[in-house]
Amino acid sequence: MMKPRLSGLLVIVFLLTAVFGAAQAQDTVPITVRCIANVAGGEGWRCDNFAEVEAQVEEELGIDIELTLVQDNKSWGDYKNEFVLATEAGEAPDIVLSGHEDIGAWAAAGFIMPLDDLIAQHEEFEDIVPALWESQMYQGEIYGIPQDAEARPVFYSKLLLSDLGWSDEEIESLPDRVAAGEFTFQDLIDTAQQAIDEGVVEPGNGFWHRPSLGPDFLYYYYGQGGQIMTDAGEIMVDREALLRVYELLGGMTESGVMRSDLIGIDWSSEWHPSVASAEQVLFAASGTWNWADWAINYVADRGGNDYLLENIGLTLIPAMETGEPLTVTHPLSYLVSSGSDNPDVAMALIAAVTTPEANNRHAIDSFHLGILQSQVDSPEYAENEVLSNAHYMLDYAKSLPNHPGWNAWSNAYWLGIQAVEAGDATPEEAVDIMVTQLQNELPEVVVQ
Amino acid sequence: MTQRESNVGGASASSTVQQQLAEQAQRSRSRALRANLSAYGFLAPAGVLVILFFFIPMIIVILMSMTNLATANFTTDISRWEFVGLQNFQTMFSDQFAQKIFFNSVFYVLITLAFFNVGLALVVSLLTTHIDRRAGFFFRALWILPRITTATIYILMWRRIAAEAPQGIINQINQLLGQPTINYLNAYPWEFVILVNGFVGVSFGMIIFTSAIESIPKDLMNASLVDGSTIMQRIRYVTLPLLRWPLLFVVTYQTLSLLTSFEQILLLTDGGPGLYRTEVWALTAYHRALSNYFGNAQWGYGSAFAVMLVLVGVVLAVIYMRVFRFNELVSDPKIEVL
Repeated sequence: MMKPRLSGLLVIVFLLTAVFGAAQAQDTVPITVRCIANVAGGEGWRCDNFAEVEAQVEEELGIDIELTLVQDNKSWGDYKNEFVLATEAGEAPDIVLSGHEDIGAWAAAGFIMPLDDLIAQHEEFEDIVPALWESQMYQGEIYGIPQDAEARPVFYSKLLLSDLGWSDEEIESLPDRVAAGEFTFQDLIDTAQQAIDEGVVEPGNGFWHRPSLGPDFLYYYYGQGGQIMTDAGEIMVDREALLRVYELLGGMTESGVMRSDLIGIDWSSEWHPSVASAEQVLFAASGTWNWADWAINYVADRGGNDYLLENIGLTLIPAMETGEPLTVTHPLSYLVSSGSDNPDVAMALIAAVTTPEANNRHAIDSFHLGILQSQVDSPEYAENEVLSNAHYMLDYAKSLPNHPGWNAWSNAYWLGIQAVEAGDATPEEAVDIMVTQLQNELPEVVVQ
Repeated sequence: MTQRESNVGGASASSTVQQQLAEQAQRSRSRALRANLSAYGFLAPAGVLVILFFFIPMIIVILMSMTNLATANFTTDISRWEFVGLQNFQTMFSDQFAQKIFFNSVFYVLITLAFFNVGLALVVSLLTTHIDRRAGFFFRALWILPRITTATIYILMWRRIAAEAPQGIINQINQLLGQPTINYLNAYPWEFVILVNGFVGVSFGMIIFTSAIESIPKDLMNASLVDGSTIMQRIRYVTLPLLRWPLLFVVTYQTLSLLTSFEQILLLTDGGPGLYRTEVWALTAYHRALSNYFGNAQWGYGSAFAVMLVLVGVVLAVIYMRVFRFNELVSDPKIEVL
């Protein structure tokens, strides 16, 4: 039989454990963050930054945060479906990082919450580049916090331009001449043609765009004077701008400036090695983040970043019909699930990673552009030659629309691009294909 | 008395016979019931699986195909689905590429089925059952490799075989021979799609045909040998007629399997190059409902494509059963009836 003193002690211990345990359990806030990131390409800070600020937020709020970070580099379609299905199953993460264009569909479905009130509680968000907020809006409310931005420039091989007879001064001044509208897209095509004619590059290697669907292709449409949304907020398509896009792309494959089989080639075994070496492709359009990937994974044995700085430059997409050079940025955004039990804590965490220190870690390691005004002046960012030289591109950046119909629009647009580049359709036929497809799936589209 | 007794005895005998007959019928009925119950018992697990994983999902997909379910209004709560009647089917049939994708599917299924899943499978089975047993086993094992290799690894291998120089294996050989290099997947997409799927498909028919060929009674072969038949005559007049049932099974199963398979095409060409050059119906259903680069998947519209696949599959299965006289194949053997 247990002695009364011992049993009394056990009761006290039990009660104390229960009281403190309950108190602790009450203050423990579970937060799950889901990110998409090419960790090998330096993008791991998208989620890892939360671990860096966890203690700070715990101290500020006087709580214990049970932080779960999940990140991988699965395909965008699967990643987005995962969030949709998880939301429906009541298992959505508190914070999900995704493309801002998801705001259109996810806000409409009620999967994510408007953040205007919570944003007002954190002064960190005042530092965000004002132009980026527009991409976070849906029907007048803010649903996302920009995590990063990027420019999608044209990379040019200094090596091959030099072989073509360009002087160092001409090569180095190219970004300025493009920005001033002096070197247009037609000049780019002419230069590429000359490089092919003179045997500097193989036929088809004058200009490369990315080999798969992505936001980049929109700058041809914007550059040719197209609009996706009417002033009244309806989704639209401009046939004339579209025709100019298909004439441009079809013309490049027809003349041999660009490969007609470019769409579908493998990113990792063909596209990146060919472009990163600076020895095969004269002009290649892609994103600033490729720089980090190339330095680490493709030209590390040649000197990595130093090799790239010496042999590759980057510039805005040269002016087309509108006469204005441009680029497209595709900010990723932290979105807060409408099923989150702790949106206040989630937003405190997001605010804590929206600082120059935290965002510089991501921007510098992954070669994404900074999203904060103060970031540009920070020594770490300024020291990075590529980022500091590319940051001005944000002033020329356009973004995707936040509209549930955007997916159908982009799929139909992509269909026309595939058709015209493969020689399956003339530019005029490609316009008809795109418009017919869009009208069939999105009858409300405005065609001009 | 005797007569009466006899009559009584006759009546009694008759009644006993009737009683015995009744008992016999009763026993027979209960035996039949027990046999039926056993049969249903044995069929039940498979039946439950078919209901759970085919009928119920099929009904859900049919219902979903009549909604406008997309990411922007996604919910698993059926009562909140917005029904739009046959609008998705109307959109599907008025799609400018529906016809092309349909005939792509027909072409893909017919060619792969004829040349690989049935044709080559039969050839491999016949060859490997007419050579040394161990050698036959070895070659059959080789043909099973594509089937047991993970689809992504398998396609990576094919992509590497077909890739541009300097990565592509065929192009490396071309370079060694001083020949021009070719982007094979772009220049010959259908050839590669059919080869890739055909190599996987051969093994299934090969296993079925081999086991069927090996189970043909030896006395039939001996009789034809005594009659002086050649090997080709034995294949033509003995083996092939006895393979009707496995042929029906392989043709039916593989047609339906090919109709709904798309993962290899997705990984190899993703339906390209150009305008849906290798896009098949099942891949379109996947693209619409489950895979969208910019999100906003069209679950309802994709389901309409899937429903069409179910309908085509059912119609084809019925046609195959008629053509191969399924009822005759499963009826009691005449020799035992006699």
